[in-house]
Amino acid sequence: MAIDVRHNQSDAFKDMMANTSQQDAPPRFSITRILLSNEFGLLVLIVLFATIFATISPAFLSKFSLYALGRTAAVNIMIGFSMMVVIITGGLNLSVGAIGVSAAMFSGLLMESFGMPWPLAVAGGLAVGAALGAINGIIIVRTGLHSFIITLATMSIFFGIMIFLTHAESYRGISPVFTGFGRMKLFSIISPLLLVTIVVALGLSVLFRFTALGREFLATGANERAAELSGIRVQRMITYCHMLSGVLAGVAGLMLVSRTGAAIPSMAGQLGQDWLLPAFLGPVLGGTLLTGGRVSVLGTLLGSFLVTMLTTGLLLMQVGAFWVQTYLGLLLLFAVLVDLVRRSYLQRRKLI
Amino acid sequence: MSDTISKTVFHADNITKTFPGVVALDEARITLLEGSIHALLGENGAGKSTLIKVITGVHQPDSGIMTLNGQVFEPHSTRDAIAKGVGVVHQERNLIPRFSIAENIFLEKLSAHPMRPINYRQLFRDARKWLDLLGIDADPSLPVSRLSVAKTQLVEIAKALSLNSKILLLDEPTASLTSHETDTLFAILRRLKSDGVSLMFVSHKLEEVQEICDQVTVLRDGRNACESRPLAGLDRQAVVRLMIGRNEQIPDWSARDRSGEETVLELKNVATSLGHKGIDLSLHKGEIAGLYGLVGAGRSELAKAILGKYAITDGSVLLHGKKVEIKSVADAVGKYRIGYVSEDRKSEGLILLHSVLENVGVPVWRRLANLFAPLTNRAIREHTEPYIRKLEVRTPSLDQNMGNLSGGNQQKVSVAKWLAAEVQILIIDEPSVGIDIKTKAYLHELIRELSDQGTAILLITSDMPEMIALADRIIVMNDYQVRGEISNTRVYDTMSQGIMNLIQGEDMSAEEAAPAAS
Amino acid sequence: MSTRFWESDWFGPFVITLAAIIVVGTLNPSFLSPFNIQVLLLAISVNALIAFSQMIIIAIGQMNLSVGAIGGLAAISFAGMMQVWGMPWPVAAGVALGIGLLAGLANGVLVAFTGISAFVITLASLSIYKGVNLGITEAQPFYEIPDIVKSLGNDTFIHPLPWLVIPCVLAAIGLWYLLNRLPLGRSILAVGGNEHASELSGISVRLVVIVAHAISGGLAALAGIMLVGRLQLGQPTIGDDWLILSFAAPVIGGAILSGGHVSVGGTLLGVIIVAIFTQVLVLFNIDPFLVQVVLGGLILWAVGVNRWREVRAQRRAGQVQI
Repeated sequence: MAIDVRHNQSDAFKDMMANTSQQDAPPRFSITRILLSNEFGLLVLIVLFATIFATISPAFLSKFSLYALGRTAAVNIMIGFSMMVVIITGGLNLSVGAIGVSAAMFSGLLMESFGMPWPLAVAGGLAVGAALGAINGIIIVRTGLHSFIITLATMSIFFGIMIFLTHAESYRGISPVFTGFGRMKLFSIISPLLLVTIVVALGLSVLFRFTALGREFLATGANERAAELSGIRVQRMITYCHMLSGVLAGVAGLMLVSRTGAAIPSMAGQLGQDWLLPAFLGPVLGGTLLTGGRVSVLGTLLGSFLVTMLTTGLLLMQVGAFWVQTYLGLLLLFAVLVDLVRRSYLQRRKLI
Repeated sequence: MSDTISKTVFHADNITKTFPGVVALDEARITLLEGSIHALLGENGAGKSTLIKVITGVHQPDSGIMTLNGQVFEPHSTRDAIAKGVGVVHQERNLIPRFSIAENIFLEKLSAHPMRPINYRQLFRDARKWLDLLGIDADPSLPVSRLSVAKTQLVEIAKALSLNSKILLLDEPTASLTSHETDTLFAILRRLKSDGVSLMFVSHKLEEVQEICDQVTVLRDGRNACESRPLAGLDRQAVVRLMIGRNEQIPDWSARDRSGEETVLELKNVATSLGHKGIDLSLHKGEIAGLYGLVGAGRSELAKAILGKYAITDGSVLLHGKKVEIKSVADAVGKYRIGYVSEDRKSEGLILLHSVLENVGVPVWRRLANLFAPLTNRAIREHTEPYIRKLEVRTPSLDQNMGNLSGGNQQKVSVAKWLAAEVQILIIDEPSVGIDIKTKAYLHELIRELSDQGTAILLITSDMPEMIALADRIIVMNDYQVRGEISNTRVYDTMSQGIMNLIQGEDMSAEEAAPAAS
Repeated sequence: MSTRFWESDWFGPFVITLAAIIVVGTLNPSFLSPFNIQVLLLAISVNALIAFSQMIIIAIGQMNLSVGAIGGLAAISFAGMMQVWGMPWPVAAGVALGIGLLAGLANGVLVAFTGISAFVITLASLSIYKGVNLGITEAQPFYEIPDIVKSLGNDTFIHPLPWLVIPCVLAAIGLWYLLNRLPLGRSILAVGGNEHASELSGISVRLVVIVAHAISGGLAALAGIMLVGRLQLGQPTIGDDWLILSFAAPVIGGAILSGGHVSVGGTLLGVIIVAIFTQVLVLFNIDPFLVQVVLGGLILWAVGVNRWREVRAQRRAGQVQI
């Protein structure tokens, strides 16, 4: 094709753009839009709750408390990312916990039983994460079934095999360098784990914003058929997303190993179910569309951080550790309801 | 048209409906008579679908009065309209697939008493009456998922009639029927008419309208171009004139012959996993080859098989004379530079959730991506903007969501996408579905211009005038086989006759469709 | 009707059940001992209710992640009311059942009126109900269960049929009647099959969604109450491991996850298959941890088979149109 159209007058084009707005599209940088954005709302909530907690319990702002908060948040955000990269394809991954623990246990095995240096063991663990994610992805694209039921099954299978192989025993012979990393304090309040999470967040942002691969993930999630007919290998994209999810779950599992100094089969609860709530809270609060095709890395990060902060704060205020789960459930409900109102408000404004 | 004076069943008077910035209906009127079939016609955007939505209760009019059997009719929801006697048979199927025919027909009556046990034997017996009335030869206990599209449609009609619908609205009922099924449907509609039912027939196939309808109402720009006027005495051109306000403009391009040019794409005795057999087809540089056929002839499916979405099980595909195996659409686009503009923009062509820029950029992302530099919006914009500009896509900005653009502009983006991808072969499937006349004319010129610049174009359309206006050569398909081809003389009458002969003349085509297969 | 019996949903699972019973019974005669049958039936009775609780939600094309949380909450309420308030057991059971119904109703109302996916709503309510459970019990079981409850939860009324079989059978018959004979149940399946068409046929989709969720909550609660009797204590962890099973049995029974089609008999057979497979691992001294693997494998196998049947049916409908 050789239509040379590049020399048309660009002014005429701009003119046309300016004059022909059929619907008034919201300007890109309007204040209202920023104020109504998810990320801003989360930021406000974070500041608000931080202030409340700090007022009620000054210990909240102690160096140790902030350090512990950052360290826990680092893991939770990573779990959120692990779910997020699958949600963008319009699917979900119930097996994040099972994969995370399996990856961590494999690393533990490599370190304890084979005496492998920790970087190799970590690589091995992440490879297991990727492989299990790939299994999910391949089954999903081959059968054409929804990821919900597939990952529900594999969650049971992965976890069951892991428990069978490890006899539910922990690995405690973890390299001191590796555990030292998880216990290190930078400037006496920052955990290196948080830095890992931030690096991963930046990596994901670059992926979705500045690479063809990331854009193809999003296109696949938004409309699989259209994406395929536009020349995207959609099945491969979906498999990659599940692999990435597996790797990120593995990273989260390894962070926990590094923090606690042991690889424990029960660290994500029965079948890894304990990770499900944090995994969904982050992306859902952060405005990632559950039907796929739209993502907010920053939103997920802030969402997971908010959840971690609320949990920490509530525990600190001694409202009863047992009730925390109830509050998190209510928070999720509240968040989706607010999102509903916000969305319909934006829609109405656009129409009028 | 019967000459007896029929009773008015439904009347809409001075219906006005405005949407922000648009007057969709401006004092529109329509009158439906007992025992007649009434055609509602209009271009896309003429207000036809708004009027249907007002009658079926989806929208409420700003002003105007509707009456049904002499009583004021003000439906506040689709459900309400149905309950008050407006039976609707939509394009999308509104049946429960796993339920039996009988249960589907009587679902409404059953659900009124949620705790009263169902007597299936009685139900099947009652359903039998309706099936007999419509001449449907099927067991009432059969799940509707096992029925053909045509039969399902008849079940929907039975369902509407069983609810004592006063008028029956058929929205593009023949869109996915074969010609034989259409004949059966028309026979039933005629019988219903003689039984006194009032039918409203919405279709864009003017031939069908002329065959079956008695009266016609044409809308143009939201107003009546004509109201409930007898169809007798109006020929096709007259109807078209009413619809578009002038004669149909068929560009008067001279016949071209590009068969001397390089053969860009060639199919030899191709069979596909979908059931195509012995397909022979060639496409030359700078040529527009038309692929004509009725719905269900397997044209879009063949296009997708060429693209590598469906497997080619036999025969060979040649690109520039070299045998190739296209394993995926990604290969077709990336390696072989073949593009496909889908007939189903919303679910296959575009990503409505994403911006114009994202949509135009999809096929070129990989090409623009560079290991050492980020793939920025700016880079994509620099590459694609000239094409969007060239096609005069009307959008406030490139960041606008695709879903907010009009049908015509969406279609322009679907084409711009492939221009930006610099394809050598472009398959265009039903280019003028859901777009206005002006954009249609524009697209026709664009397609012609593209071919003049060397792009090989395979045009799929069911719109005969469009086909005859654009194609250099017309390949006729039926039942997943090529029935033959004719070079286009652009004389409408002889061409359309020739095409229909090819479709119907099974015996003649048998030889033509399977020429010396190596 | 028009489907032949070997094409029906329950036929495949039925053959597998029969084959499994014969094979296992031959290899290990103690499998068919009255005591073992009683143990099997106890497990099947409770698990069937758990499966039905999910099945009714699958029927409307949704999912209920909070089945276990509702069951657990009802269980500890039942045990707690008897221990702390000294409530007579039938009253406590009634109230606990009511709590389950309400919990399901709340799910239904939220799903129906917000339009948010049932997945998210029930994930939230799972957390809420489980949190309330832990908040009340502080993770400690209630131990003081009346003897009659313990007896009803374990003993037989006609050897080897345990009392627990009775509510299970009643629920199965009730659900079958509802889904196959009553317009309300047909509406549930209609909404799952084609929501829009159901609405146009005068079915109140919201009401149907709410009713289905309420039934689901009630069935989960019943399972929880029965489990208190069987375990002889009010464990806060009751329900934690229900999720996989609740999906496994209906899909083995041929349920289509997109809604509109479930089979009560098939689901029951699904529960029986799961129970037999679990028992086999115990009888042949295979690592019990492998139960999870078997359950997951069964789900994959079942959804694969269902998918294949669906594709085949579509292809056939496409070829021979009647």
